[in-house]
Amino acid sequence: MVLYSFYIFDRHTECIYSRRWTPRPASSSSKTTRPQSGSSITSNGDGGPTAGRRGMSHADDEKLIFGLVFSLRNMVQKLGGEDDLFLAYRTGEYKLHYYETPTRMKFVMLTDTKQNHLRNYLHQIWANLYVEFVVKNPLAPVEHPGGIGVANEMFEKGLDAFIVAVLPA
Amino acid sequence: MVVFALFIISKAGGLIYNREFHTGLAKLTSNDYLMLAGSFHGMHAITKQLCPVMPQPPNPTSAAAVLAPSPFSGRPSGLEVLETSHFRMQCFQTLTGTKFLLFTEPQQPNIDSMIRKIYELYADYVMKNPFYTVEMPIRCEKFDRNLDGFVKVRS
Repeated sequence: MVLYSFYIFDRHTECIYSRRWTPRPASSSSKTTRPQSGSSITSNGDGGPTAGRRGMSHADDEKLIFGLVFSLRNMVQKLGGEDDLFLAYRTGEYKLHYYETPTRMKFVMLTDTKQNHLRNYLHQIWANLYVEFVVKNPLAPVEHPGGIGVANEMFEKGLDAFIVAVLPA
Repeated sequence: MVVFALFIISKAGGLIYNREFHTGLAKLTSNDYLMLAGSFHGMHAITKQLCPVMPQPPNPTSAAAVLAPSPFSGRPSGLEVLETSHFRMQCFQTLTGTKFLLFTEPQQPNIDSMIRKIYELYADYVMKNPFYTVEMPIRCEKFDRNLDGFVKVRS
């Protein structure tokens, strides 16, 4: 399985945790030509077809993803009824998996297209990692404005181990 | 095998055809359907933007690239399948930008071929209808009848 990225959004629409495993495609006309670590992995044809993404930062991506899953969830609930759950969507290039906790926290994961929906795994990340290492941490605040307290060492380590051990290969 | 509904969205994001085959989706007002179609049009564009890896352009010497060169082959495709616990939505976008949305049961096989067949029906009975104006709501009796026949045989 190829993992692209993982995001957690809190109930105030803010992205409190994000993790990426592939560098974003270098846009063809970006002003800063800083070298990207591991840019050899992407090999996206000299950045030719990435022209549509110029000037987009990671923060922009997070906002787009939040807005997108929020609207898709609303659309799904409108069509399928209140108890319908938005699980995942797939495009030709990637698949986005979605899990929402009862407290309206949203867990989003982008993978390659060959996966079944990963709702159960995202639920496990919430129950076994987020609750254990972030919610039960006595030093962490109740809310996490700007992501304070989420990306602690235990959570990061746990996430790494979970991805290696549990997610389907 | 249950097919709930078919939507056709024009390249400008307007809902030009909306038909329910089987109850299962919530009943909405036609205004709500129009709004859904419009917002889906926007979401579809965003799913293209979010693409983490660019699709590989096809080998320029391959037979397909020589016989049918397409400016779209190296671009991200946008949303194709939406999965929820109650239904599954397949989206097929034609080269001219018209989108076909087919709502079915969650575990439905062969929707791809089905949606292509519907596109064929659309080409035959809507686009070849001399009284049809493009980008306008579809009111073609023959299209309705053939679509009904096609979906009923499959279910």
